[in-house]
Amino acid sequence: MKKYLLFIIVISFLFIAAACGSNSSSSDEPTQLVISTWGYNEDLERKNIIEPFEEEHNVEIILDTGNNSDRLNRVRLDSSQIDIIYLSDYFAMQAIEEGLFETIDRSNVPNIEDMYEILQAPLGEEYGPAYTVGMFGLAYDTAAAETPVTSWGDLWRDEFSNRLAMPEITTTSGPMVVDFAAKQAGADPFDADLAFEKLQELSPNVLRFYGGSADLVNMFSQGEIIIGPTMDFAFDGIVDAVPTAELIIPDEGAYAYMNTINIVKGTENKELAEKFINWALSEELQTQNAIDGLNSPGNTLVELTEEQAEGLLYDSDVIESLIVLDWELVNNELEAWTDRWNREIVE
Amino acid sequence: MNKKYFYLLLLPCFLFLLIFMVIPILVTTLSSFYLDGRITLEGYRSFLTDHYFLNILFRTLRISLLTTTICIILGFPVAYYVSKLNVKLKFIFIAAAVFPLLISPVVRSFSWMAILGREGIFNTLLKKIGIINEPIQFLYTELAIVIGLVHLFLPLMIIALIGVMENIDYDLVKAAQSLGASRFTSFIKIVFPLSVPGLVVGSVLVFVGSLTAYTTPQLLGGSRRVMSTLLYQQSLTLNNWYTASIIATIMIVATFIIIGIMNKIAQKLNPKG
Repeated sequence: MKKYLLFIIVISFLFIAAACGSNSSSSDEPTQLVISTWGYNEDLERKNIIEPFEEEHNVEIILDTGNNSDRLNRVRLDSSQIDIIYLSDYFAMQAIEEGLFETIDRSNVPNIEDMYEILQAPLGEEYGPAYTVGMFGLAYDTAAAETPVTSWGDLWRDEFSNRLAMPEITTTSGPMVVDFAAKQAGADPFDADLAFEKLQELSPNVLRFYGGSADLVNMFSQGEIIIGPTMDFAFDGIVDAVPTAELIIPDEGAYAYMNTINIVKGTENKELAEKFINWALSEELQTQNAIDGLNSPGNTLVELTEEQAEGLLYDSDVIESLIVLDWELVNNELEAWTDRWNREIVE
Repeated sequence: MNKKYFYLLLLPCFLFLLIFMVIPILVTTLSSFYLDGRITLEGYRSFLTDHYFLNILFRTLRISLLTTTICIILGFPVAYYVSKLNVKLKFIFIAAAVFPLLISPVVRSFSWMAILGREGIFNTLLKKIGIINEPIQFLYTELAIVIGLVHLFLPLMIIALIGVMENIDYDLVKAAQSLGASRFTSFIKIVFPLSVPGLVVGSVLVFVGSLTAYTTPQLLGGSRRVMSTLLYQQSLTLNNWYTASIIATIMIVATFIIIGIMNKIAQKLNPKG
């Protein structure tokens, strides 16, 4: 009897030990690198970006995917051992203010020199560069709209009632929505009260507020919606499903976002992470990604044919015309805006 | 076996639950009473006087109650029928009832999107028959959430009821009928009260499941938040763990209150049960 008793106790303790213990690894096993990204085009990302790097450096890359805010929160919680994180400039700035990022030694990332100047240090010299600039414009189905859409204000048209999706405030584009709503309300300079009043008018027409671009593409392809403000990278998916869809730059202008790569504080693989960033900026990879339509090239050495450049931000005039939000103002107001958004707009 | 040490069989499971359930729940609950270094009910006061939060709380309770009611109405006749079948047929029916449980809620929600959407099967059918000209908005409404949840939890209700109904001694029904009770009376006086324990177990499972379900409301409810999606937004998107703890605690308390009420009702229906 005593034997059984002992057995049960030993098993229980073994169980606890196993739950708390850490696994050891031998030296020629590949290093693990956890990379946090959107996972929007995961199959292409694996083929172009991840697999070549894994082979060259004997690394096993684990992807952590999700939208900006959720992934940033996982870094805040410090629970997932993330080494490298892709974030839009807006969220990367929040992370830097909270001290979540490691500084970068630029001499280890020589490819930075080849990038467009605005991408080289969007968050300061110490932190990660941006690898692409993108545009937040307006997508709609030209076959379903009565007259062509030319302005952000066209979102308020009655014909789009219940056929319209808008981004949530907690996405990178949320504050851009607040900005164009203020302009539609005639607020100059920016006035949050007027913006929210204007959005409240729109709210009953909105079928759904989406938290990630995949949701938007899904709604377009299911025929639920015919119009919605969107990031350019998601437009490929939309036009695949709805061939008559078009992405326009509204008269008031489209907005710019930059996607950055940063190293998370506490990583044990800083050197490898810097190598990865250098690879992400390289002419070779940026060209391949541009040809596959994964993202617009940020490397100035990339040369594309007209056909390859279609759907990408490749024209420097367009890039320069994009509106860049004052992220510092946004960061200060975000909490108040989120609260108002939840109460006044969504519910 | 020495009776003295018999309880040690519980030890592994007890430790598991203690470490991974009891302690985390206590920490979560207690932290909701603690703000700016002092113990206070302020968080609850502001939550429960805030229309925005109350709306979401009542929507969640409404959806859960509706789902439970529909599951009872749909599940009871099925369970009664199946419980009276012979062993072989019963096995086939129970397998059919359990089968949907093997499919992930995500997949099932997506299939409902294909059915309920603007260009989904249901709207297309209604248009073809000529009942409607313009598609009806089913998707991203409370109705869509309820439909998804009923589909998700009906098997639990059916299985809980079959388990109890199988063990009803039908000699009692025969006895009642021999003493002059009609079939209806004997059903109401004998079969129904004896099924109440199954009804309670089934209802608790369905209600708690609906109250805490995340995937279905997230995918089918659009911007209509329920407690679980609100909890997700507060904790993982807004990093507001204080409000998240309050929401979690309110969900736990609401669950216990509803279970209590269901037990009370059960005692009324089946005083000897």
